[in-house]
Amino acid sequence: MQTIYTLFLVASILSLVLYKKPLLAQKVGFGLASILSLYAAVFFFSNLNDTLLWKLPGNFISAPLFKLEPLGIFFSFLISLIAFAVSLFSFEYAKHYEKKANLAVFASLFNAFILSMLLVVASDNVFSFMLLWEVMTLISALLILINDGKEASKNVMIYLGIAQIGAFCLMVALLIMASLAGSFEFSTFANLDISFGMSLSLFLLLLIGFGSKAGMFPFHVWLPLAYCQSPSNASALMSGVMIKVALFAFIKFSLLLPQYVQFGYILLFFGGISCIFGIIYALISNDYKASIAYSSCENVGIIFLGLGGAFYGLGTNSAMIALLGFIAALFHILNHAVFKSLLFMLSGNVYNATQTRNMDLLGGLHKKMPITSLIFFVAALSICALPPLNGFASEWVIYKTMVIGGIEKDVVSRFFFTLSIIALSITGAMAIMAFSKLYGAVFLGTARDTKSVEEAKEVSFIQLLPLGFLASLCIGIGIFMNDIVGMLSKIVFTLIPHTSASPYGFISMPLIAMVMILCAMIPFVLLYLFKANTKEARVTDPWACGFLYNKSMQIGSNAFTGDIKKALSFILRYESEVKIDGYFSKAVYTHKTHDFFWEKLYEPVIHAIMVIADKIGVFQNGRTNLYAGYILIYLCLILMFGYYFL
Amino acid sequence: MDFFYLLLQLISAIMVAPLFDGISRKLRARFQSRIGPSIFQTYYDIYKLLKRGRTKSKSTSYIYQIAPYLLFISAAAMLCALPITYGTSAPFLSRFSDIFVLLYFGALFRFIFIVAGIDTSNPFSGISASREGTIGFYTEEVAVICLIVVMMGAGSTNLAFISELIQKGNYGYMIPSFSIAATAFLWVMYVETGRKPYDLAEAEQELQEGVLGEFCGKDFAIIDIAILLKQITVLGFFLVIFIPWRFEHPLLSLIVFLGEVGFLYVMGVFIDNFGPRFTMNKGMKRTMLYALAISCTSLALFIMGI
Repeated sequence: MQTIYTLFLVASILSLVLYKKPLLAQKVGFGLASILSLYAAVFFFSNLNDTLLWKLPGNFISAPLFKLEPLGIFFSFLISLIAFAVSLFSFEYAKHYEKKANLAVFASLFNAFILSMLLVVASDNVFSFMLLWEVMTLISALLILINDGKEASKNVMIYLGIAQIGAFCLMVALLIMASLAGSFEFSTFANLDISFGMSLSLFLLLLIGFGSKAGMFPFHVWLPLAYCQSPSNASALMSGVMIKVALFAFIKFSLLLPQYVQFGYILLFFGGISCIFGIIYALISNDYKASIAYSSCENVGIIFLGLGGAFYGLGTNSAMIALLGFIAALFHILNHAVFKSLLFMLSGNVYNATQTRNMDLLGGLHKKMPITSLIFFVAALSICALPPLNGFASEWVIYKTMVIGGIEKDVVSRFFFTLSIIALSITGAMAIMAFSKLYGAVFLGTARDTKSVEEAKEVSFIQLLPLGFLASLCIGIGIFMNDIVGMLSKIVFTLIPHTSASPYGFISMPLIAMVMILCAMIPFVLLYLFKANTKEARVTDPWACGFLYNKSMQIGSNAFTGDIKKALSFILRYESEVKIDGYFSKAVYTHKTHDFFWEKLYEPVIHAIMVIADKIGVFQNGRTNLYAGYILIYLCLILMFGYYFL
Repeated sequence: MDFFYLLLQLISAIMVAPLFDGISRKLRARFQSRIGPSIFQTYYDIYKLLKRGRTKSKSTSYIYQIAPYLLFISAAAMLCALPITYGTSAPFLSRFSDIFVLLYFGALFRFIFIVAGIDTSNPFSGISASREGTIGFYTEEVAVICLIVVMMGAGSTNLAFISELIQKGNYGYMIPSFSIAATAFLWVMYVETGRKPYDLAEAEQELQEGVLGEFCGKDFAIIDIAILLKQITVLGFFLVIFIPWRFEHPLLSLIVFLGEVGFLYVMGVFIDNFGPRFTMNKGMKRTMLYALAISCTSLALFIMGI
């Protein structure tokens, strides 16, 4: 594993050295990244059930030790797998940013980002973990800034702000745990002897710390801003993998605490809320990239539902639920990484072809980009959890966990599990609407704004290759669901030792696929038997009640969700305005949907901070002698403190 | 042998479904003091459609071409998931008959329906595609709430297992929450059949068959069969859980099942014919709130362990 880390570092430095020749650096940087991550993926996959150790040579503070256990290896594999597809995609894609940034820096940051994520997963003590965690955040912030724009710095500040709230909570939690254990090594953290209150507060701190990075509700506000701002390959990596690193760390640390049932309930609650709000905002958004970004919040919610089941199982000592819950969560993590990075890369293709993110201007793109559209169709089916694709497989395991969790005649647990099933099913119904709208508005129908669609071209083969790879993974993971579950259960057994439970009663995905093929043959037999008319269809304009057809007659993304918006008006702040200037001029319709929680939760806090910062500004008035005075006062205070209290 | 019976289940459903439709059309006509078409009219319709030529809108893409087949696949797969001719004793097939498989094939049907509607870029099919999604949003949670009571009570998501458990009387109507759930579930399944007053997506008068407005010829015939299959399946979904009459011999249980479904389907005319027509939001909110309230009652009772 040290070879992989070193090679990534070399690749990063090498592409930075070539900064005078950006195009060469881009080829070298991303090419190396794809080869390295393919190697890393194979390496980690073949050592999936081992433990790897590496001590950083040299004389560093706190002698950093890197250790990978099966769970860590699984996440390292996930990172390298997605990184392989994304870097192969960037090999061509990054060229579009030639004018915005130095491509050498881009490639270097990209390599460093993959390296930092791998190191975060491997790091084994508080100091190196926190350091690498912050490095990862900073590099991702820089990657967002590659795509410079009007609102770039504001979006990055919001991202960093929320990341810092999280990092603060993490730091506090880890320091408390370290002081209780008397050591900074994570391996000594297990079996801490702490009370329920302490354990719960540590758990909450960890949840806020990692949840904010993972995009859990109510910390989801940075998702659409950061992902829309960043180049699509960076957002594919961030959404596909970075938020999974946060989930990995959450699983790793919260398993060190003594387990209580309440942990499970807390996770189920936040998971359910994240799912529903995530998908509502994804549904009503008119910006396809924002819609995909909000659905990250939804999927993190689904993962938390699985984890909630797992922690409930640990708290009540029911090994079966714990096992199924962890399998479900890890399975959905894997699937989400695959289809979400795929969707972001596809949205990057669409954006480059059309230069707009507004669904109301697009349409009919299938005719220009047929392969992108087909792959998008597969990705949309699998994010909607439709059989026989991978999204369905993992959601089915989550449903099973919930159902088994609710069998016990305990009122509280039944309450939480039933509500989470309902949340998941509502999410499913809305996800179908959200992604059918997204796919329909972008790829199907007639172009609404011919100017942006007409110029669109299909992307090159090398850019389609990784997309096709991930799409076939979507299908393959779905069909071979039971093998993946077997593989994941081996990993989960290392998390919850001393259990004899084994997963049983699973559906058989190959059978489902077979029945579908069987059903597919029947209509053809029918058509043949009755000698149907198979003449080529005559092509006409769409029917428009006898009026002349106009492309603006087709349904827009706002109108599509109109009924749902009305029905949900109690949680959505939704405004529509019609401006009419005289009889003959065009009426102007504007629609605005406010993120309710941004206004109620974040704006007051931001406002308060601005006011406080304004008041503090008085101290900073630029006079050097006053600054010297501050230092003097501080010194006196320290001396007094030392004299009396130490 | 299991597969042979499964195929038989599917084919017999396809063959009988138009008859049910014909009978209910005849009955509806009699209610309206008309003589009405022959009870075999739906067969004639489908046959005629198969022979007709087609026109298609110029904006359509591959989705328009594969949509009829995908709709058929999802409806037929839903029907196959109903354990009628096979039970838990069929070790292989019972791994297919799962409640969530059935629900998500329904979702696949809905997804394709919406996407096909948008693809034609016909203004009316766009609106009805939107309505189809909204109806899904309203019905899905009621259906799932009812099913939670069944699944958690029976301790499994396997439909064949649940069906047998209830038929043997180990779990069922002696549990109050179960019997209340039955009411709401029948309601929702009627909504899912998409008949009046819940035919908002295909409302003929205003929208000219809604999503299907641009489909014609053999495509339309296949979609017609798929929709009939889906209607039979959702009614059958209610039957295999709440009135499971399975017999030792697969053929006998198939015949009884088809008889039951036919009865429910034809009885639907009493709602269909006398139901008023609502606007989208009012209709769904007003009528679905009752179903939601009933299902929530059953869920609350279930949580309390009654």
